[in-house]
Amino acid sequence: MIKITIDGIEVQTDREITILEAAKQVGIEIPTLCTFKNLSPSGSCRMCLVEIERLSRPQTACTVKITDGMVVRTNSEAIMRARKAVLEFLLINHPLDCPVCDKAGECILQDLSAKYGAAAGRFKEGKRTNPVSFEDPVIVRDMQRCILCTRCVRTCDDLQGAFAISVINRGSHSLIEPFSGGRFDCEYCGNCLSACPVGAITSKLHRHTYRPWYIERQVETICGHCGVGCTLTLQMRENTIIRVIPDFEKGLNSGMLCVMGRFGYDYTEHEERLRSPLIRKDGELVPVSWEEAVEFTAWRLKELVKKYGGGAVAGIASGRCTNEDNYMLQKLIRYVLGSNNIDSAARLFYRPAVSYLERMFGQGITANLIPGIANSDGVFVAGGDPTTINPVLGIAVRSVWKKGGKVFVVGKSGGLRSNIKHELNHAEGAGALVLTWILAKVYEKKNFISENSIIDKKLSALKVPDMDMLVRVGVSPEALQYTADELVRLKNPVVIIGPETVLYGNGSKNLFLLGALNYVLNGRLFVLMDEPNTQGCLDMGCSPGVLVGGRPVELETFGHKMENTAGMKTPEGTGLNLFEMINGANSGSIKAMFVMGENPVFNIPDKKKVESALQKLEFLAVSDIFLTETASLADVVFPASAWSEKDGTYTNLERRLQRLRKGTMSSRGRADWKILADICKALGMKESYTDVKSVWDEISRISSVHSGVRYESLIGRGGIWPYGGEPLRGIEGDFEVEGLEDMPELPGFAQSGRVILKEDKSLIHSSSLSRYSPALMGVASEPLLMINPVTAQSLGLSDNERVVITSDKGTAVAILRADRGMPEGVAALSNTFKDNGFRSIVGYTIDPTLKSLNITDRVVTIERAKQL
Amino acid sequence: MNDMKIKDVVVMERKEDTGIGRFLKTVFFVEILQGMKLTLKTMFTKPVTRQYPKEKRPAMPGFRGLHALVRNPETQQAKCVGCGLCAAVCPSRCITIYTSEGEKHEKVVDRYEIEVLRCLYCALCVEACPFGAVVLTEHYEYAGYNKADFKMTKDKLLENWDKYMAGTKGEEYFKRFWGPRADDFKTPENQAVFKGRSQSKVDLHNAE
Ligand code: SF4
Ligand code: SF4
Ligand code: SF4
Ligand code: SF4
Ligand code: SF4
Ligand code: FES
Repeated sequence: MIKITIDGIEVQTDREITILEAAKQVGIEIPTLCTFKNLSPSGSCRMCLVEIERLSRPQTACTVKITDGMVVRTNSEAIMRARKAVLEFLLINHPLDCPVCDKAGECILQDLSAKYGAAAGRFKEGKRTNPVSFEDPVIVRDMQRCILCTRCVRTCDDLQGAFAISVINRGSHSLIEPFSGGRFDCEYCGNCLSACPVGAITSKLHRHTYRPWYIERQVETICGHCGVGCTLTLQMRENTIIRVIPDFEKGLNSGMLCVMGRFGYDYTEHEERLRSPLIRKDGELVPVSWEEAVEFTAWRLKELVKKYGGGAVAGIASGRCTNEDNYMLQKLIRYVLGSNNIDSAARLFYRPAVSYLERMFGQGITANLIPGIANSDGVFVAGGDPTTINPVLGIAVRSVWKKGGKVFVVGKSGGLRSNIKHELNHAEGAGALVLTWILAKVYEKKNFISENSIIDKKLSALKVPDMDMLVRVGVSPEALQYTADELVRLKNPVVIIGPETVLYGNGSKNLFLLGALNYVLNGRLFVLMDEPNTQGCLDMGCSPGVLVGGRPVELETFGHKMENTAGMKTPEGTGLNLFEMINGANSGSIKAMFVMGENPVFNIPDKKKVESALQKLEFLAVSDIFLTETASLADVVFPASAWSEKDGTYTNLERRLQRLRKGTMSSRGRADWKILADICKALGMKESYTDVKSVWDEISRISSVHSGVRYESLIGRGGIWPYGGEPLRGIEGDFEVEGLEDMPELPGFAQSGRVILKEDKSLIHSSSLSRYSPALMGVASEPLLMINPVTAQSLGLSDNERVVITSDKGTAVAILRADRGMPEGVAALSNTFKDNGFRSIVGYTIDPTLKSLNITDRVVTIERAKQL
Repeated sequence: MNDMKIKDVVVMERKEDTGIGRFLKTVFFVEILQGMKLTLKTMFTKPVTRQYPKEKRPAMPGFRGLHALVRNPETQQAKCVGCGLCAAVCPSRCITIYTSEGEKHEKVVDRYEIEVLRCLYCALCVEACPFGAVVLTEHYEYAGYNKADFKMTKDKLLENWDKYMAGTKGEEYFKRFWGPRADDFKTPENQAVFKGRSQSKVDLHNAE
């Protein structure tokens, strides 16, 4: 027990905390400048000086730990003088441009000056001149205003792990500069910007438009860009979002955001937003009233169901829409129209991966908490870069390294490059080879209690490749050995699985290998999820073979529940999946489709095929916020409300249920659930819903996992898996691994002049939505082709050249970027930009075991684009 | 209260004119004529009140009337930089300012609006402005038929300055009422802090 006295108040504590923390506990405010929420103390600003009895000089409260019997004074005259002096020193160089500084009103220097005041400076010298830089797309750096607290540098290094900025020069010449020179050219997460106590680093998005007192409303909501589900606060003036700020107290991200979350909100204001329902008349989409669009859709659907039966209708749900939206779509398709044909883009990777792993280990195996990653002592990543797909999860991985843990990445290390000891990058198609070797070695060395005879049996059947083969695919024996040795030692490991494990073939084997590795290591599994609510979309039964709550259709008891509660019959059969729907549309067995918030033409490979399939439909209805490639083929288009305009719930990749809250009013569209409920109503549904809560109430009555979860209670830890419902544990029975006992094949190397194309996930963009965000387009405005520099050279191409990529399925234009992280003979293109998406120029087959996407036709030629 | 007894209440009897007396008084307007006597008397004396629309009393110096935005005599533009302090301090929240970034990255005031119908003429906005960019003029006659006319835009407010604070009037106003604040942040002798870069520029990077 430590007893100290602060300003005459006795404080008792049994932890060794700093004077600053102790004072805070008893409500004594000590002014600080360089101390910040999650950063470790640095003791550089001297603002927090306090007097300690028997010490001759004042000490910094933020760094000095308390000791028993300490007597501290924070309000003596000498301390007041010291504070005033610190401020006077800072104001020697700090410009007095508060009236035009965006930070004014919430600037700590301003507040402290007002409180302790340095009214008259005594320095006759002028102020130093430091650069002001407007070169960056989203950040303005004004080094005149910098007070050198280094909060930004420490945030970038210690929390973001990007190491992009540093203090340069010395003494009064010091300033903060990015390593890349004038421009930041960093991850643009903007976390340095929320750390800066003054207006030295500010957001460009609301530059000169913002004052704290202009904010009329603010709401706490969830980011709509990726599957992490960061908590953030929207601040509005009139009906416009002025800015997005993180919430340091709430949410799993504890105040961290990524570039998409912080800056990518402006797409909701894009001028191309749909404003009124459209119906195709004489080949043209023309604006009509809501009533007409709803009536027309209901009438067409009814007619087609009558003519061809329920099986001729299909629905495509979306991981960008809320649980309530998805629930309503499956209700329309399954229970109102009587078809089990409902699926979503989760089919491409997330759903097959998660359900395969759940088949191995039981429902909820991937429901692990993201903040918990930081407590791990080692992270094994395969199949994708978490720092670009789920950036804030990526930060957690980096923090493991920061604390001395180990990070292993199979494949391109990308944003984790500085956190790994050895690259485990391999030739294209050799992933299974590397994983098999690592798993076999770990299995051999690790003492573990085996509990699952099915997995054990499969493990012993594995054929292990020899080192020779591995060297031939470009992996060093040293790196492999190191990885296996270190993995065996881990006590609390994490395994992260990305989309590449499934997208390029060998899906079931890769998933089995990673699942088994996690089983042997006794770790925690995470599956990367690129959309905010893919998991929720599945939980709501938007997948063939699965009903609300993730129950397999075969479990009959569930069907009864729906019948009892809603008086509706679950249709027979399992229904078609996404690819079968497209084929069905092509062959004519599917006649009508409702697509909600998804863009299959752009997001499913083989654009031409998908496009022609959708064109053959007798009726296509789309609800979206923009007239996407898919919506422009539709017979009816409903304008939906965007992420910031609706209430509802999202389920993130850790299965955390979180509330999305409405910030701006939508004059442009309606929430998808509302549109769908109106259509259901017009088709004779009995229930009516007043608001999103009434939809949730119905979900929580029907779903066995969500049962008893109240809409209002979804705050804080209220929404953490398993929510108090009953998940399906321990699914019995065997599962299939394709090619388990085969020796993985050596990939055929590309012929000269031809390159294998992969999908790239840019940090800046979240699939095709972000192309409507001026801020994000400002950071990355053109499609990039990432390619190994040696390969580029052998093709006679150089950096920053405009190139044409041609495959059997189509062509795309991109800017070439040499990237040493890419293996030789491989290039990567993102699926973001209109007309130049990766998926539009490749083909696909369906993985026989997983029923997932297997991208083919990836061999391309790359040529210099003709000069215009 | 409950203890109050009925006998405490004294019922007064009202004496009313009855009969012929009352009838005659009504017929000959006696009471009205009695009242008009005073009117007739004062009709021919000098009036004691000010004859407002014809006769206007000059406003006292510092009278708080209609707002104006100060025009900088050098640039002919509004002095206002759009810091928003006036809007922050205004107790009735009737000032709305919209600013944006200009071509040279400077702050541009796009809209500056005062809903004068809600203003309570406290002049806190004038006091808050660090640049002496907003004033309350002596003009008080701006009745109108249309509510929209009372939304003072930036242009109207600048016009007000030209109209009601023309010449040296504005300058005197600030000198007299807002003392040092009118000095546009000119450096007080003993405050090097305010000297800023513009005055003694030392290029520290090349100071060797
Ligand atoms: S924006 Fe993010 S990555 Fe860039 S310097 Fe700031 S903290 Fe570092
Ligand atoms: S830029 Fe801001 S956060 Fe960084 S050192 Fe300067 S004042 Fe501190
Ligand atoms: S990590 Fe994902 S959820 Fe978090 S801010 Fe970035 S895009 Fe949004
Ligand atoms: S005088 Fe007072 S009420 Fe009127 S605008 Fe100024 S601050 Fe607001
Ligand atoms: S306080 Fe003065 S400078 Fe600031 S916005 Fe108001 S009028 Fe303009
Ligand atoms: S807060 Fe203690 S030295 Fe800066």
